[in-house]
Amino acid sequence: MKPAAPLLVLLPALVLLPVLLALPAQVHGGGWELIGTFLKAAIQPSLDPLVLRSLLEGLGVTVGMALLGWACSVVIGIGLGIASSRLVWRSLSGSVLPAEVLRRLLALPRSIHELIWGLLLLQLVGLQPAVAVLAIAIPYGALVARVVSDLLDALPDQNLNALLLSGTAAPAALLTALGPPLLPGLISYGGYRLECALRSATLLGVFGLGGLGNELLLTLQSLEFRELWSGLWLLLAVMLGLEALIRRLRQRWGMPSRFGLGAGSSGQRGRELVVALLALLPVLLLVAQALQVDPMALLQWQPLPAMDGQHWGTALALPWLPLVWNTLLLTLLAAALAVGGAPLLLLWVAPWSWGRRLLQLLWALGRLWPPPLTALLLLFVLKPGVLTAALALGFHNLGILGRLLLEGAEVTGSAVEEALRCGGVGARIALLYGRYSGLARSYLAYGAYRSDVILRETVVVGLVAGTGLGSQLNESLSSFAWDQIALLLLVYAVLTIVGEDLSDRARRRLL
Amino acid sequence: MAFNLPIQFSGRERWAAVAAGLSLALLPVAAPTALSPNFLPAAQAQSSKPVLRISAIPDQKPEKLNRLYGLVADELSKQLGVPVKYVPVTNYEAAVSAFRTGNLDLVWFGGLTGVQARLQKPGAKVLAQRDIDASFHTIFIANTRSGIAPGNSQKVLTQLKGKRFTFGSQSSTSGRLMPEYFLAQAGVKPNQFAGGAPGFSGSHDATIALVQSGAYDAGAVNEQVWRSSLHDGKANRSKVVAIWKTPGYPDYHWIAQPNLDQRFGAGFTTKLQKAILSWRPSNPEQKAILNLFGAQQFTGAKASDYVRIEQVGRQIGKIR
Repeated sequence: MKPAAPLLVLLPALVLLPVLLALPAQVHGGGWELIGTFLKAAIQPSLDPLVLRSLLEGLGVTVGMALLGWACSVVIGIGLGIASSRLVWRSLSGSVLPAEVLRRLLALPRSIHELIWGLLLLQLVGLQPAVAVLAIAIPYGALVARVVSDLLDALPDQNLNALLLSGTAAPAALLTALGPPLLPGLISYGGYRLECALRSATLLGVFGLGGLGNELLLTLQSLEFRELWSGLWLLLAVMLGLEALIRRLRQRWGMPSRFGLGAGSSGQRGRELVVALLALLPVLLLVAQALQVDPMALLQWQPLPAMDGQHWGTALALPWLPLVWNTLLLTLLAAALAVGGAPLLLLWVAPWSWGRRLLQLLWALGRLWPPPLTALLLLFVLKPGVLTAALALGFHNLGILGRLLLEGAEVTGSAVEEALRCGGVGARIALLYGRYSGLARSYLAYGAYRSDVILRETVVVGLVAGTGLGSQLNESLSSFAWDQIALLLLVYAVLTIVGEDLSDRARRRLL
Repeated sequence: MAFNLPIQFSGRERWAAVAAGLSLALLPVAAPTALSPNFLPAAQAQSSKPVLRISAIPDQKPEKLNRLYGLVADELSKQLGVPVKYVPVTNYEAAVSAFRTGNLDLVWFGGLTGVQARLQKPGAKVLAQRDIDASFHTIFIANTRSGIAPGNSQKVLTQLKGKRFTFGSQSSTSGRLMPEYFLAQAGVKPNQFAGGAPGFSGSHDATIALVQSGAYDAGAVNEQVWRSSLHDGKANRSKVVAIWKTPGYPDYHWIAQPNLDQRFGAGFTTKLQKAILSWRPSNPEQKAILNLFGAQQFTGAKASDYVRIEQVGRQIGKIR
């Protein structure tokens, strides 16, 4: 028996029960003073001109890198997304096998975190600004490819079939029947990837270029909270500005919400869109020039580090089972907290007019603070462990999912909710049945994508002891143990493929 | 309107079209410079004077790193007559890897990262260390509520079994390598800590803050950072105390690429070493550098000084 749709969206929040039960045992509470210092620093950030200048320069580098990495990833993603669509292959050759194979292969680049891609590429081509761009473009390209192929496969195929049956050549039929309905979802998702790219470029602390991420990480590690806040405020301004811009563009071009996998109209402003894209091209070239990103440098390969085959035994003897178990536990906990937490919190504050504003602020902080920062803050009051790491990752992703949910709720319109309210139904129930019921399935499908990302992000909360594969990967990287690194990345890839398979099945049942 | 031919733009669209037209007009200006071979930094470096690229493992706050290595770059440039550029890197592994791929010429490494870098880049030269680096120390610290008692003998460390323990960064010599070695000597294995694994706080400052708060019962930090934390009040003696100080071991040092003489002229490596060794507190600029390094002066160092670090690294599994 399927549970009713409005409740479906709250199911992941059940994880809160065990979490709240386990939490009191984790509290040590010795660092409230430090949390106080951190919060006090928020209202008195450092205004030292030297700090500000270097932060502003770093911000420029980070935004530039994000833009370039995003542009490359969208191009790669659309190409590979079309190439891994079942619908496209079925129309072209009658077999969906190539699409299935490519889809599974794409899990490999996607399962590796940007930070690790950066380090791997550094081995191959040396310290080049282009490395940072590619480190974002590869995993993001693979992720965009997955979403594009899912969007394609979810489109209604009557038009395509009609064209094919009437004798139109397959490529032309595909373009005509699928191009326009794909566009809105693609643009909406593309805009969202730009926001993600900014967050990634921040975390990446671009190699050999400094960048805001570098500054944030080092100020965090040296606990210079006032200087840290100068950077965080700057980043917040840019982040909110970018989000507002993308939101306006999406509304202007009549795009549906991000996780609306259904078809929409192709938008009234197609011409404007083309013009905007053309205008982007020279901007990208100028940014590339300013940052000295040189694609040709990617072709000058360096000799790879020496790898002797003597240590495979040690690598195989790593405690794989607990590593994988901890990683899965961490990923699932964090995903459930983020996916379930967003609608639950919105319901909770529904009766109060200021509640939503407050939540939006909290979520903005979640998106703004890189997970290592949240992990450190949590450690000031909680003992290390999987739960603490999950809370850190969960908080970050809650910020992202919460915003998406609000946006989705806006698009679905308020008619049903208002009708319920007028009928005397309470604010919470009206929100639950009026808005969430229509949104539940696509929101959960989106949550499944996000779990993919959370799995990769387990790499960045290593300062919490024993968090599984992520901690081990950091350790192997610092020992330059390439055999261990290879095995670890393989395990990440397998987990991603299995997770994707499960979420594919879940989505097919949900949607 | 979409079916009107010829195309008619609305007001907003006209504005956008103008913007696009302008930027397309700019395209040829931007593109050739971006795509021409002159744009290659490598080609630039070959055509004009070669640049000495210096870097350091990132173990300080960025403001201090930028200030310090900006000064070092200026001073070296003045003394050697070549352009010097500071290239910041984000983590220890990136510093070692970028040295291996030849993108950094002179790097301030820690003990372990220096050995890793030399093993990955045969022929790399150890140039100098600070006066304090010949015998560097790690301080084991503990939260006062943890019940761990300080002492003068290494046996103190056996109390750490079953406690929550954190190292600093994974690649840190004073925050990880040597403390793990001394723990092993005392019979404490990393999997005997509470939770089955130690934490890696990422930095000495974070270790002190996390032990002081009680997140971890104990940790290991660099003596230099511990002293300055006590001095500026970041470490609160009523909450965190030193429980044991390790014997001395060699740590930080300058390492140079093997090919500097070919690129900058015969004898350049020796000139570089002499320049670093010549810094004295009597010169105001050099005094500023030495102060930021926390040293009186630099002394000559050689690869054999770090044999012990290499042995310990192999024992712990950080060097293979």
